[in-house]
Amino acid sequence: MIAIAERTFGVLALFAILITVGTVVALTTRRVPTWLSGDVALPLATSIAAVATVGSLVLSEVAGYTPCTLCWYQRIAMYPLVIVVGVAAWRRDRQVWRTALPLSLIGAIIAVWHIVIERRPALGGGVCDPAAPCAVRWVEEFGFLTLPTMALIAFAAIATLTLAARAAPASEGDRRVDEHPEEATEPAG
Amino acid sequence: MSTNTPKKRPNPRAEARRAAEKRRRLLLIVGGVAVVLLAVGIAVASVGESSSRITVADVAGDVEVTGEPLPLFEGDPTNDPAIGMVAPIVEGESFAGDGREVGGASGPQLITFMASWCPACDREMPDLTAWLDDGRLPDEVDLVAVSTFLDEGRPNWPPDEWFDGFGYTGPVMVDDASSSISEAFGLSGTPFWVAVDADGEVVWRTSGLIPMEQLDEVAAQIAAS
Repeated sequence: MIAIAERTFGVLALFAILITVGTVVALTTRRVPTWLSGDVALPLATSIAAVATVGSLVLSEVAGYTPCTLCWYQRIAMYPLVIVVGVAAWRRDRQVWRTALPLSLIGAIIAVWHIVIERRPALGGGVCDPAAPCAVRWVEEFGFLTLPTMALIAFAAIATLTLAARAAPASEGDRRVDEHPEEATEPAG
Repeated sequence: MSTNTPKKRPNPRAEARRAAEKRRRLLLIVGGVAVVLLAVGIAVASVGESSSRITVADVAGDVEVTGEPLPLFEGDPTNDPAIGMVAPIVEGESFAGDGREVGGASGPQLITFMASWCPACDREMPDLTAWLDDGRLPDEVDLVAVSTFLDEGRPNWPPDEWFDGFGYTGPVMVDDASSSISEAFGLSGTPFWVAVDADGEVVWRTSGLIPMEQLDEVAAQIAAS
């Protein structure tokens, strides 16, 4: 059962890589489709944050993988994103990147360091804490998707998607909520 | 202040927009659920049947510790209150059930504590195996590896296969399920090293990756004791 859960999270992480790469290409070429920026980006980012949150809780509370210090720091960055981006998706707040991007960047930096510790345990002091070792690869799907790797992918996807939402055209339904609160819940175009 | 507010007229355009918005949200939810179900389906199809698992109870040794336990190692080998203390005596067994003993005044000993799931131990074991293969362990000194912190849910399980995988042929003592040997020697992290002289007194403790040259020095020191 746990093996199926781990593989499911692995497959979803692969989907998230595709989403991130596609969104980065769209952002760099300045051709973000309106369906992505207008309707999909924020709900999708919320879903990714929610899956990452549920996944981390399943693996710690059900599978019994004790979260290490670095896991907790990543959780601190990830868990609020469910609410922050979720509320923004509901209210069509295109400016949520101002909050989501710093949280995602902090989480991503910690995840990168965690990945480094996994690959080079000597950099983390070369000692394994028996209770909650950060260097242990509890999960390694498809040969590279460890838990901090999946977290990094989730942070990258959320960051790029909130930036894509920022690129939405200023049509009637896409106006900033702070400028037109009475129309904030109106649908696009 | 008037309480009579004009009745809102139905706005067909606004209602049509709301209906379209509802449809889009429903489509997103259905799409999201479909993606998750697809991932679960791929996972179910690709994860093989798990074979019967070897448990900690199958591997753990019968351990009997006598003597005063050493204080927890705080990380500084040069300022370690355990130095000079008599090491606990542990009677235990190998993976195969053969009797093993560490501690006591039976001669100088190097005791290394390894956890098979620990990546740092994974790094240390090849160096240790090469060190032993090169004949750098003095004849007067015994080296015993303690397989500790047994956990069937962590990587590199079971630990006997992990030791075999490095070609390690030295003696191994298996800790019990509650890691009594590690606790008795004050282990704070793995890999963990304890050097005991011919009188059974602790000469040196350290944890973490160590250069094999340091092992040469400590081994020579206790060999001369």
